[in-house]
Amino acid sequence: MGKTRATIGRLGLAMAALPAAVGAWKQLGAQEYQVDLGALREVRFISRASIEEFEGVTDRIDGYILLDGAPLGPESGGSDTELYFEVDLASLDTGIGLRNRHMRDNYLEVEDHPYAAFSGGVAGVAPLSAGGFRVTATGGMSIHGVEREMQIPCDVTLRGEGYRARCSFQVLLTDFDIEIPRVMFLKLANEIRLELDFSVVPAGGDS
Amino acid sequence: MSVSSRCSWAGVLLTLAMPLRADAQDRPAGWQRRAEATPIPVTVFHSTQSANLPTAETLRKGEWLFEISHRFLPPVSDGADALWGLDGPIYNRLGLAYAPADRVLVGVSRSNLDDNVELGAKVRVWEGAAASVPVMIALNGAVAWNTEADTLAGAEDNELQAYGQIVLNALLADRVALGVVPTLLHNPRIQEAVSESVFALGLNGQIYLSDHVSVLGEWVLTEERENLVYDPVAVGVELETGGHFFKIVVTNSARMNPSQFLGGAPFEFTPDEWRLGFNVTRLLTF
Repeated sequence: MGKTRATIGRLGLAMAALPAAVGAWKQLGAQEYQVDLGALREVRFISRASIEEFEGVTDRIDGYILLDGAPLGPESGGSDTELYFEVDLASLDTGIGLRNRHMRDNYLEVEDHPYAAFSGGVAGVAPLSAGGFRVTATGGMSIHGVEREMQIPCDVTLRGEGYRARCSFQVLLTDFDIEIPRVMFLKLANEIRLELDFSVVPAGGDS
Repeated sequence: MSVSSRCSWAGVLLTLAMPLRADAQDRPAGWQRRAEATPIPVTVFHSTQSANLPTAETLRKGEWLFEISHRFLPPVSDGADALWGLDGPIYNRLGLAYAPADRVLVGVSRSNLDDNVELGAKVRVWEGAAASVPVMIALNGAVAWNTEADTLAGAEDNELQAYGQIVLNALLADRVALGVVPTLLHNPRIQEAVSESVFALGLNGQIYLSDHVSVLGEWVLTEERENLVYDPVAVGVELETGGHFFKIVVTNSARMNPSQFLGGAPFEFTPDEWRLGFNVTRLLTF
């Protein structure tokens, strides 16, 4: 018992002394998953204005999620989870080169804000009747240099040793200080639907 | 419990109370990007052409560009009776271009002046930055036939024209685009019995005032020749949207196909001789 208490004591002092305590926590049973760069990755935004609908798509999403070590289930989530995902905005393709340039230069201003990022944790996990789980991620969404707290629902299914996530949610451009063009013939909705489809694999295991 | 043990448990509790998540504005300290950010393509001029001169800009592979342009023949100085020239008549130019590759643009355009039909191609050969100034270079050329050149005697026997250009573009301070277009023009005046090849120098600039509005100007230095005594000049404003460019210009030349305007203008660029005109281009994808 004395030996055990001494071990705990040393461990506690070390953790208190190190600001990188998260790293130590990771080693104490957490499982890190990273985006599988070899699998399908798709981030799609859809603008449905009154006259014109268009989409932009990219496969440049990357990031990670830390779970508590146990398989994903209803008991997952909470403060012992961590996630971070980012999308390379300059790679978004709307199908028209000129429109891509307008989006990059005039609206997203990617030279100053090259990534959209979401950082947070898992707020809840609920089983789906069709299999898999509805995972609700909560945290800060940063686009165009503006951060907003958001909750993002994703349907997650097992895929090999990892998971496949499909997320669908909506953002308002005005929430992120993105100008809505008012010039005729360019129709961009304020409400932009975002659809994500990607997989994660245990860290170091992606192809 | 010893003092050291109490300190240890305090350390554990302190650690657990520390936030485990990084601020969304910043990347987590331990996160290493596995790919470089996508480079932002170089842009100098936004449109593929100024009022008449080409820019080094091309389209993306598979895209089409339709153009309709007018130059009103009566001068603005004719006043309200001629609706400042808008009553017409006009010279009309219709164009259609296609990008078989990201750097290549081929097109056909027709002007009703001499029914000039032009087949042309542009190749963007280089873009980058020189001393932090974005630069884009293209080669441009075309062959043109004046299929109904009956305006002056002699034209029927000398209908073929051609030109080749080096298009040098640079962007200053993110808003001022400048172009220099050295040009070799074959047969500038189709009424001559013998074709000649001459040099002309195109200069153009555009100031981007906002995301959608810019002002532009161009000037072609060319030799004085019969009925084409003056250098063609055009100034105007451009409005760009997601797929359109609208240009409204005043100019001393109603000649629009390059083989025509590069040879010179019939009027001096003075307010009395200003003509109104417009270009509308629409980007198309199928």
